[in-house]
Amino acid sequence: MNKAMEQSLGAKPAVWRTDHHAAQRALKTRCRVWGASLLLACCAAVGAAPSAQQILSASDAIRNPEQPFGVTSTLIEYRNGKQVQTSTLAVYARADAQSGQFRNLIRFVAPQRDAGKLLLKNGNDLWLYDPSSKASIRISPQQRLLGQAANGDVVTVNLAVDYTASLVGEETIADGERQNRDTYLLKLNAKTPDVTYHRIDYWIDRHNNQPVKAKFYSSSEHLLKTAYYRRFQKQLGVSRPTETVIIDGLDPQWVTVLRSSDFAFRDVPESWLQRDFLPRFKAE
Amino acid sequence: MMAHWQMGRGTRMMQSTLGREALAPQQCSVAGMVLIVLLASPVCWGDDADALALADQALEPAVARSDWQIFTEGMLGHVNQRAPLDDIRISRASVDVLLDTAINPEWRFTLANRADWLGQDGQYEVVNTLKEVYVSWQAQPNAALDLGRINQRNGVALGYNPSDYFKVGALRSVVSIAPASLRENRLGVGMLRGQWVWEGGAVNAVFAPKLANQRQSAAFSPDWGASNPVSRYLLTSSVQVLPGFAPQFLLLGEQGQSPQVGMNASILAGDALTLYAEYSGGRSAALLPAAPVAWHSRLASGGTYTFANNLSLSLEYHYDGAALNQSQWRALWLNPADYWAYRSAVFNAQSLPTQQAAMSFITWRDAGFKALDLNWMLRRDLVDQSWQSWLEARYHFERMDWALQWQYQNGAPGSQYGALPQRHSLQAVVKYFF
Repeated sequence: MNKAMEQSLGAKPAVWRTDHHAAQRALKTRCRVWGASLLLACCAAVGAAPSAQQILSASDAIRNPEQPFGVTSTLIEYRNGKQVQTSTLAVYARADAQSGQFRNLIRFVAPQRDAGKLLLKNGNDLWLYDPSSKASIRISPQQRLLGQAANGDVVTVNLAVDYTASLVGEETIADGERQNRDTYLLKLNAKTPDVTYHRIDYWIDRHNNQPVKAKFYSSSEHLLKTAYYRRFQKQLGVSRPTETVIIDGLDPQWVTVLRSSDFAFRDVPESWLQRDFLPRFKAE
Repeated sequence: MMAHWQMGRGTRMMQSTLGREALAPQQCSVAGMVLIVLLASPVCWGDDADALALADQALEPAVARSDWQIFTEGMLGHVNQRAPLDDIRISRASVDVLLDTAINPEWRFTLANRADWLGQDGQYEVVNTLKEVYVSWQAQPNAALDLGRINQRNGVALGYNPSDYFKVGALRSVVSIAPASLRENRLGVGMLRGQWVWEGGAVNAVFAPKLANQRQSAAFSPDWGASNPVSRYLLTSSVQVLPGFAPQFLLLGEQGQSPQVGMNASILAGDALTLYAEYSGGRSAALLPAAPVAWHSRLASGGTYTFANNLSLSLEYHYDGAALNQSQWRALWLNPADYWAYRSAVFNAQSLPTQQAAMSFITWRDAGFKALDLNWMLRRDLVDQSWQSWLEARYHFERMDWALQWQYQNGAPGSQYGALPQRHSLQAVVKYFF
C-alpha cells in the first residue's frame, strides 16, 4: 500500500504519527512541569512551603525532559581569556525506570581525532569505546575526558535522585544574564559517596523553578566549580537553559561554556545502553 | 626486503619499535618575585562577571559530520644500536582510512585500511594492512549479524591480553610498541559474527573459517593466511551479576587444539580507581617446540588510579604458564637458532617469552600545559629482570598532533630486552587529521 492509498483510506502517515507522538510527549512533559509548579503553588496557597526536594525535582524537570531524548552539547573551553579547545558531543539520554536517574550514551563528534568515540554512562558505570582499537574500557568518574568538564557535567543528571536537598533560605542574586532573580538557596548533600560532587549549593528561581546558579564542592569542602544556567529557550515544550557557564573553583580563568542545541525527543533503545552494543552503535 | 624489518613470519617493524617484539638477532626566589608582580598588577581577573562576559562572546565552530575518518602520519627517527652495530636512520609515512557508513537503517558497511611506507637508511618498503572490511545487518534492535574481516578484540588489560584470541598472527606492520597502536594496527579476522543483546547482558557467536595456509608478504596482500590459518569459533557472553559488575565469559574452539576458556572482569573501586582481571586457560602445547600438552593458565590483572590533576597510573601483572621459567629461559640462550625461533613464535602469538612480567603506564592529559599529553610505559620482565621504557610527549593542535617518542631498553645478554641489538631510539612524529 503506498502513501497515497494509506491517506485515502484514512491511515495516518508515518510523519504525522511521529509528530503526533512527539506532541503527545511534549504535552506530557509540559503537564509534569506545570504539575510540579502547580503543586508548589498549592503548597504556597495553603501556607505549606514546598519542600526542598520538591523544588529540586521541579528544577530537574526544567533542565531535562523526562522522556528519552537527544541533544547536541558543545564545549568551548577558555584558559586565561583565550579559547583553547572546542568539543562537540551528541548525547542520548533515557531515564532508568527504577532509579529515575538518566542513563546516557555520548558520541564524540569533534574534534576529529576523537570523532566516533563513545562514552556510556549508567550511574558510576562508565565505559569508553574507541572505534580505532575496538576496545571498551571501563573508566572512573575522576577520569576527565574533556578538559575541565567532568563526565557528570556533560551528561543528563537528575539531582533529586542523587542528593538530599534542604532549604537554606531565599536570596536575590545576579543570574547568568546579570539580571536579579529571587531564588531559593538549596543545600544538596550526596546520598552516596559515589557521585561526582559531595555537596552542592543550588540557587533556583522562586517563581518558575528555573536553575540559576550552582556551586559544586568536594568532600574536603573545596569549591570545585561554579555554574551559571542561562540563555533559556523554549525547547521540547518547556523553557530550558541552553547554556551553562562553568568556572573552575581553583582557577577562575579556566572557563567552559557548555551549549545545548538540537533538542529532540527520540527513541533511545535499551540496546544502545548496553556495553556490548557499543561497537555496533551507529547514529543516524 | 630490508633485514631490519624482516620478522620471522612476515611482519615488518620499525627498528625503534624493536623491544617486546624484536626478533632480529643482530625556585623559591623567582616564585616570590612572580607573586609580588602578580599582586601588584592592576589587572584583575577572576570574578564570575568576567567569565560570563567571556561566554557572551563564545563562537561555536561549524561541525561537519562525516562517515570518514582519515589521517596521515610522518615520522623521522634515529636508532642507537649496541656495538658493533652502527646507528641507523628511520622514517615512515602512513595513511589510515576508516569508513563506517549506513547503507540503510538495517545495513552498514565498514572499511578500515592502513598503508605504511617504511624507510631505513634511504631504502623504502610499502606494507598495507587491510584491517577491516565487512557488512552488518541489524536484524532487530537487539540482534545483528556481521560478515567479513572484523577486528574482534576481547580483553580488559592494557599491556597483555590473554583472552584476545584473534590477536595471534594479526600484526603485519608494527610502527610503535604503544599498546594502543598494537591493538589498532592489525589485521582483522574473516568471520561470521552474530550478536544478541538484552538488558544487562549479551551473547556473541563467531565462526572464523580457515581461508589460507601461508602468510603473504606482498605489499598489498590481504594476507588471509595470517588472519585465518585455521578454523575457529568463539562464544562470548556478558552477564550482569551485580550493579556495575558484568563479567564476560569466553569459549574458544580451534582446529587442532583443545577448547580454551576465558574471563574478563572489572570493577570500580571508588571514585578514581578501576580494577580489572583477564584470564585464559586450557590444554595447549607450551610455546617451546616439543613441549608436552598440558593445562596452561594465562593472566593479566591490574588497576588504574586517576589523580585530581587527570594523571592516570596503571599497574599490571602478567603471567603466562605456557612461557619459559628462569632455568628454561637461560638454557635456551645457549642455542641462538632455537632462541630466536622461540621469540619469533612468541611475537607471532603476541604472548610473553617468560612466565612473569609487570608493566606500568602513566598517562597525563594536559600535563602542565593545555593540549600537552605525556605517556610513559615501563615494562619489566620479572624472570630475567630486563626492562624497557617508552616515553611520549604529544601536543594537540586543532587538526594536527606533534609527538616525540623515546624508547630505551636494557638487560643482561640473552634477556628479553638485553638481547635486542638496539639500545635506544628517538622519533619525531606528526599526525594530521582530515
